[in-house]
Amino acid sequence: MVTNKFLLFFKYIILTIILLVMIFPLLWMFRISLMPTGNSIGLINIISSQITFNNYLELFRTSNMGRFLFNSIFVGIIVTVGNIFFCFMTAYAIARYKFIVNKLLFVSVIIILMIPVHIIIIPMYILMVKAKLYDSFGALILPWLVNPIGIFLVKQYIESIPPSMEEAARIDGAGEFKILFKIVMPLCKPALAVLAIQVFFTNWNSFLFPFILTQSEQYRTLPVALALFQGHQAIDWQHLMAGSTIAVLPILLVFLMMQKQIVSGITAGGIKQ
Amino acid sequence: MKNIKTTSLVLTLPWILTFVIFWLFPLIYSIVISFSDYQLLSKSFDWVGFDNYKSLLYDQDFIQALKNTFIFVAGTIPFTTVIALGLALLINSEFPGQGIFRSGYFLPSITSMVVIALIFTNLYQRGGYVSYLASLVGFTPPENGFLYNNRTALFSIMAMDVWMASGYYMLIFLSGLKAIPKELYEAAKISGAGQIRQFFHITLPMLKPVMLFILVINSIKSFQVFVEIFVMTKGKFETSTMVYYLYEKGLTTKFQLGYASAAAYVLFIIIAIFSIIQFLLFRKRQPLW
Repeated sequence: MVTNKFLLFFKYIILTIILLVMIFPLLWMFRISLMPTGNSIGLINIISSQITFNNYLELFRTSNMGRFLFNSIFVGIIVTVGNIFFCFMTAYAIARYKFIVNKLLFVSVIIILMIPVHIIIIPMYILMVKAKLYDSFGALILPWLVNPIGIFLVKQYIESIPPSMEEAARIDGAGEFKILFKIVMPLCKPALAVLAIQVFFTNWNSFLFPFILTQSEQYRTLPVALALFQGHQAIDWQHLMAGSTIAVLPILLVFLMMQKQIVSGITAGGIKQ
Repeated sequence: MKNIKTTSLVLTLPWILTFVIFWLFPLIYSIVISFSDYQLLSKSFDWVGFDNYKSLLYDQDFIQALKNTFIFVAGTIPFTTVIALGLALLINSEFPGQGIFRSGYFLPSITSMVVIALIFTNLYQRGGYVSYLASLVGFTPPENGFLYNNRTALFSIMAMDVWMASGYYMLIFLSGLKAIPKELYEAAKISGAGQIRQFFHITLPMLKPVMLFILVINSIKSFQVFVEIFVMTKGKFETSTMVYYLYEKGLTTKFQLGYASAAAYVLFIIIAIFSIIQFLLFRKRQPLW
């Protein structure tokens, strides 16, 4: 028994050390964001310098931070809502209407699921330039309103629901759209919640496409702004880390509130093989 | 019936449009222009056959990017996989506080890559925290910081990636571990198999599908490493990777869209071959361990 207790204690020590290694960089970021500007980022200053929230205020005053934040939230919400509806609609059609076209559509979903996304960087850029959508909300939103992983997840979920309720409603004379949105969609809430979180997170953190498809600060999202922020001469770490904290905070809060859904989303992704 | 067909079409229309406009068309279009000398600024457009692909072979920058990408993939995936599996085994059993550790380990993977790369730029900088740690253990840190040095830059970025991704794959391993029937372990215990034998004869073989999944998605992701390179080094100090290279060729200075598309397809083929090999390795010979 003594050795067992000792082992458990030892395990906790190891687990805690790893935990510190995992969250240390985020704490580091937060600490720098609270340092007065002008203090150098030396180890001693990190520990001893006073705490101030001025960097956050200055960031909103002197840069377009408010705009970037708005863009990220705006694009994130539209893309998430779009995915909830469009992934659900497509998934329902594929799961319930067994036409050959829909089988082919499912094949298209699987193919796109596996295609490395780097291949469309150049053509997507050309497409947006030619369609006069380069540097607009359209470029940030339109390509991402429905995604193959989402369709896949929701389709699996719909297939696990017995169709008896839908059939009963159909006999009662309910239209297809009514069945779809009034009966099936509420049943899919758990899957749609997982989908919504995944889409919002991915979109919120997304850098590559927002970066190559926009130019002006007017359409710049938070990650793009942060990546381009450091371009000027010496890096202004205090403000940069304040901006980074703003970019991490919403994700962190959602994560802490909805851990169950997030973990099950990852797990579902793992099981699909 | 006809009614339902129309409904079905309406429901799937968003995906059909997205698929055709934003996936199928770009995919085909970039094959087509990879056989041309299409440049955005000079407005030139001539068919050049396989010239782009041939000149890639003689392009030192491309070869370097290819090499760096392979180093990145080969150097991160084994570490990420082993650490992720280790973490999963460590917190698999139920114990008080399990949730806190699981969430904590997972936290870096939901954070924006840009933010993580910025934080590590700070940690790796000259006189920064990592230099301090290095000197503590008696290792002389590079003079200008870890990212301004040909020998350490790429490896520093790789270390960050391993740190960041481990928690995510840990979660996937955890779901795989949960799916292993408990009876197997009980039977093994009865027949006197120790912990180590149980691990090699039950846990590892049962994790094979999950392992395959992790290897495939992790290598597809790692072959396309870009964001951290862009944020931390801009491809300097021998850190340029394939996607960074194609970004640089296609979307900066000369906008060589045709040439960059050819590079993109080379990477595409490499990833495809790699994924197929992984599938075959795992499918064919059953007892891999």
